[in-house]
Amino acid sequence: MRPHSSLKQEFLKKWIMGLQRCSFSKKNMSILERRKTIKFSADIAMASARNGTTCWSRALISNASKDGSNNHHLVKQMLGPESNRPTVAANIAPTRRALVCKKIVKQSRRIRRRRRKCVATSSIAKHLVRKRTQILKSLIPGGELMKIRLIEETLDYIASLIVQVDVMRSLARASEP
Amino acid sequence: MNRALPEILQCSDMTVLERQRARLKWQQEQFQQHQQESYFSELSGVFSSQTGHVQGFRQGDLMSCGGAAGGGDSVLSDVVMTRQLKPDPGLETAWPELGKVDMGAMGFGPCGYGNGQSFDMNQAISRTSSCPPAVAAAEVKGNLEKMGLAVERDSLKKRKVEKLQNSKVVAEDDSKRIKASEEEESKITGPNTRKSSNNKKETYGDTSKENSKVSDVQKPDYIHVRARRGQATDSHSLAERVRREKISERMKYLQDLVPGCNKITGKAGMLDEIINYVQSLQRQVEFLSMKLATVNPRLNFDIDNLYAKDVFPYCTTNFPTVGNMAQELANHPPYVQFNPFQQVVSGCGVEMGINSTEMALQRTISAPVSIPDTSFLNTSCFTGMQQIQPSAAWDAELQNLYNVAFTGSIEGSDLKMEM
Repeated sequence: MRPHSSLKQEFLKKWIMGLQRCSFSKKNMSILERRKTIKFSADIAMASARNGTTCWSRALISNASKDGSNNHHLVKQMLGPESNRPTVAANIAPTRRALVCKKIVKQSRRIRRRRRKCVATSSIAKHLVRKRTQILKSLIPGGELMKIRLIEETLDYIASLIVQVDVMRSLARASEP
Repeated sequence: MNRALPEILQCSDMTVLERQRARLKWQQEQFQQHQQESYFSELSGVFSSQTGHVQGFRQGDLMSCGGAAGGGDSVLSDVVMTRQLKPDPGLETAWPELGKVDMGAMGFGPCGYGNGQSFDMNQAISRTSSCPPAVAAAEVKGNLEKMGLAVERDSLKKRKVEKLQNSKVVAEDDSKRIKASEEEESKITGPNTRKSSNNKKETYGDTSKENSKVSDVQKPDYIHVRARRGQATDSHSLAERVRREKISERMKYLQDLVPGCNKITGKAGMLDEIINYVQSLQRQVEFLSMKLATVNPRLNFDIDNLYAKDVFPYCTTNFPTVGNMAQELANHPPYVQFNPFQQVVSGCGVEMGINSTEMALQRTISAPVSIPDTSFLNTSCFTGMQQIQPSAAWDAELQNLYNVAFTGSIEGSDLKMEM
């Protein structure tokens, strides 16, 4: 199933806007720089299309606009002053709750382990799942921060990626000579 | 699941929360319809059989019952579970009376108190004609017994909980009765229907999960969970179970989103697929951005070319500013000049301080402009530009383009003289 076309339009609009602004800063860019700018502006456009509702979008924008990173001035150009942007501070509340939930879960696991012996297969399965969750967290921007909403965020991120790929592909196809 | 749900699942641009809220709304709608219909069909049947002796017998309660039933229609039309709490308690408090009061007396409440309410009844009946009345009438007897049992419990429970929890209780009552009246699909609710009649404790797992999803938005203090029969009842395992059910629910959504996941069960395999898919999508983005970088030397994209090649066939109607502008410009011969001017325009609008955007565009549209002009404007803008346009101005520009495209030629000649 494919995402709604309104999302595509919004993404396209923001992306082209961002590209216009990015292109003013340097007149002649190498091909690698261009690629990086394109991808970067696409990511920022995708994240800003979410308007701060999801954790990964906030994390992506905040990572990009850190002063130490390469492209933070581009982010400023694209998104405007800091005050307009949704802050990452909204992450704090979920993580506190996540910690509480984690404590409960850990206690329950300890209790259950005392009650019965660990079956080897289930522990292996848990280990696998934990490993893969870690990999997934590394893939998604801001994945380290979220614990309870990981799968929701993944869903949203996948949908945004699909939109991004569709738009870019149609753009590339359209601008072929 | 029924017909409406797969459509909801189709739009994956909605977040998971919205989807679940929509599903819950739909469930409640369905339930309310059936409940109303069963209630009213019973009432109409009773009314026809009895001769009229309206009593002052608990008129206040019956009045509230009828009034709430009338108000319930408006609730249904809105279908917002968490917001409309007033009519729902009205309905809830009326039902204990149903369990105790004779059916005849109950029948007169709505019928005796005003035409408006009977009008609402008719509306309800006509609206819920999907479920045949015969079936409903057959179900009603069984329903009412269950309702009588459940409602007393619920009325007791309801007085203990806070306002936020009210919505959850209502929702879980609703979903419990949905399970009672018609078989619902999910495996969590399956055991509930079997056990609900003879259990001391019932599971609220499904509804607590849904409610906790809603409550994620509302930020409540706690989540109502009860243990199933024969399971551990301490809070930790309950929380654990809620968490597991949440995760499995979301895994199902992911299965819909990620292609080729239908055969795989189990968390590890699903996570594997998800990781592969995310990685492949990210690689595609990289590849496509590289491709775009090779194609476009100056990072400007011909919007008009895009639409000329019919890239987005389904969204030209929804994208009025750019789309119409592009089509409009495509009709004019000098539209090839549009591209550099688009760049120039967006860069210079604020800097120059005058409405150079309009002027520049009008010059493009009205007559062919020589290349030296464009290069001149380019360099001046690039060297002089400090400020960046806010996004509102960009939309305003698109709007300007749109307007200008229609009004082009007359002003163009005047402004040419100025420049």
